[in-house]
Amino acid sequence: MTTYIAQRLIIFFPMLLVISFLVYSGLELSPGDAVSHMISPELASTITAEQLDAMREAYGLNQSFITRYWIWLTSMVQGDMGYSMAGGVAISEIMVKTVPATLELSMVALFFSTILGCSLGVISALKRGSGTDNSLTVAGMAGVSIPEFFFGLVAILLFAIELKWLPVGGRLMPHYETVWDRIPNIVLPSLVLALMMTAGAMRYARSSMLDVLAREFITTARSKGMPEWRVNILHGFRVALTPVVVLIGFRLPLLIGGSTIIEQVYQWPGIGSMFIRSVRASDYPLVMTISLMYVFVVLTASLIIDVLTALIDPRVRLGKE
Amino acid sequence: MTDKNNIALSVKNLKTFFYTNNRCNKAVNGVSFDVEKGKTLCIVGESGCGKSVTAATIMQLLPTLSRIEEGEIIFRKDDKTVNIEKLEKNGKEMRNIRGSDIAMIFQDPMTALNPVYTVGFQISENLKYHTNLNRKEIREKSISLLNDMGIPLPEKRVDEYPHSYSGGMRQRAMIAMAMACNPKILIADEPTTALDVTIQAQIFELMEKLKEENDTAIILITHDMGVVAELADNVAVMYMGNIVEAGTADDVLRRPTHPYTKALLESVPVLGRGKNQDINPIKGSTPDPYNRPVGCQFAPRCNWQTESCDVMPEITQINKTHQIRCHKYEQFFEKYDEKRNS
Repeated sequence: MTTYIAQRLIIFFPMLLVISFLVYSGLELSPGDAVSHMISPELASTITAEQLDAMREAYGLNQSFITRYWIWLTSMVQGDMGYSMAGGVAISEIMVKTVPATLELSMVALFFSTILGCSLGVISALKRGSGTDNSLTVAGMAGVSIPEFFFGLVAILLFAIELKWLPVGGRLMPHYETVWDRIPNIVLPSLVLALMMTAGAMRYARSSMLDVLAREFITTARSKGMPEWRVNILHGFRVALTPVVVLIGFRLPLLIGGSTIIEQVYQWPGIGSMFIRSVRASDYPLVMTISLMYVFVVLTASLIIDVLTALIDPRVRLGKE
Repeated sequence: MTDKNNIALSVKNLKTFFYTNNRCNKAVNGVSFDVEKGKTLCIVGESGCGKSVTAATIMQLLPTLSRIEEGEIIFRKDDKTVNIEKLEKNGKEMRNIRGSDIAMIFQDPMTALNPVYTVGFQISENLKYHTNLNRKEIREKSISLLNDMGIPLPEKRVDEYPHSYSGGMRQRAMIAMAMACNPKILIADEPTTALDVTIQAQIFELMEKLKEENDTAIILITHDMGVVAELADNVAVMYMGNIVEAGTADDVLRRPTHPYTKALLESVPVLGRGKNQDINPIKGSTPDPYNRPVGCQFAPRCNWQTESCDVMPEITQINKTHQIRCHKYEQFFEKYDEKRNS
């Protein structure tokens, strides 16, 4: 296992390098640059080409693509993330502000969706064909197929505007003092995010569980005279868990990347909404930092999934011992 | 011979039906037999004739869409008798019988063991639920069971997962699991179908040994006539949910009287007769369970079919041990007497 993890870590960095280059090239290919986004529309008619070039030179945008990439890469390796072109703020500062917001939202959503998804899926599988199962199936299909933004907007309309139970959006207000003040703000976005994720996890857990319950070792377990809960949970769910863990593992990047759509709908000041703004502004340093972080988390998550599946299922042996 | 005190289990007119798509499959349709202590009853028949369902019914391990329609399953333990069919399917009483009084071995050892638990853990579950042993004793017992089954290095093997066991070893582990609580009855549902012939012989040797040492009654489900000849004390031949012929191994194998039994025996290739030997497969195939023949279930495939076969024949006792469900058994049975006399 140690060898396997070491192997994975070795390919980790080349992969980061390749992906960073691809993202940088992608930004280069997109029309316009940071400067063209800095100028307000009123000024666009009066500004001269020379002035634009001067601005480009000031930001170093007149240098060749490879040189710019090299400059970015060397400073990144030294731990200098640079400054946002759009706001002029240090990117490290932006990260310190946005990462906790995203973590807060995603962790709450991931936690509840995992527990709820697994248990509802198991209940659904055990009561296959019953009214409970059918209604959970319908709810699950709806949850999977209704787009998040629609769900989010309906929730705002209903709970925030009509019923006025919860705030429309945002994370912090100036008058908030304790953690408790912030709870109403997180309820709607995390609930909407969690419900979407619950639906997927539930469907997955259900089909995985049904598959396992039909296997012969379940009959063996029952033939030993063990109570039903032990047969279903210890022998059934334990085996059904593997694919569910993989699904949940692939959601780990959400913790850092955030759900761009939900953050946008609820004006949640997380990485997701920051990412959208930075791409719109062709803000190279910020886009690069966020996407690198995203890649990092995806790669780490897949490593975690591999290790977890090996722990759950002894048949999976990683690398050579 | 069939002394009442010797009977471990008797099944009387058992009917188990499956309900799918509003249709009813009479998988087991009035089966009766007795299992004696320390004896092996072989249930033979083609695929889909209800052998495995009979076994599952005794253990109440039936799938959700099936139920015991009629009949009795009487389990005799010491002086008490228990009507298994009356117990709640996964209720406490049924669970107390499962795994401790009646244990079961399954067809495919590759899939019958849970891949994520060690073999030791899976054996210990049985002991945990049916004995008062503490953890240390359970572990020692698990090791000694594996040792009895002829698994080398049991102290080490007990902590290994099923995937590091070979097929034969897994079936031994299954038997160790089944024998953990010294069951009165062991049901083996085609225990060697998935194994090769040498392993098959070893597994049967093991079962014979256990039977003699513990006085366990064995219900062996198989379609291998060679196995029947080797192991059976009593044989029941099943066809389409009915027992068509039953008796001692001698009765059924030496004087097969039902046309179906005869046909089964004739369709077995014999080693040593060369590749050009005549094998007489039974013509046709088993009828659709939803569209059964009216009378004798075997009639459409039978060479001796007559009009009288449109009525389901009753079970007739030929002699003390040999019984049959056929209208015309007399003419077949007389032939044996003629042969013996000549």
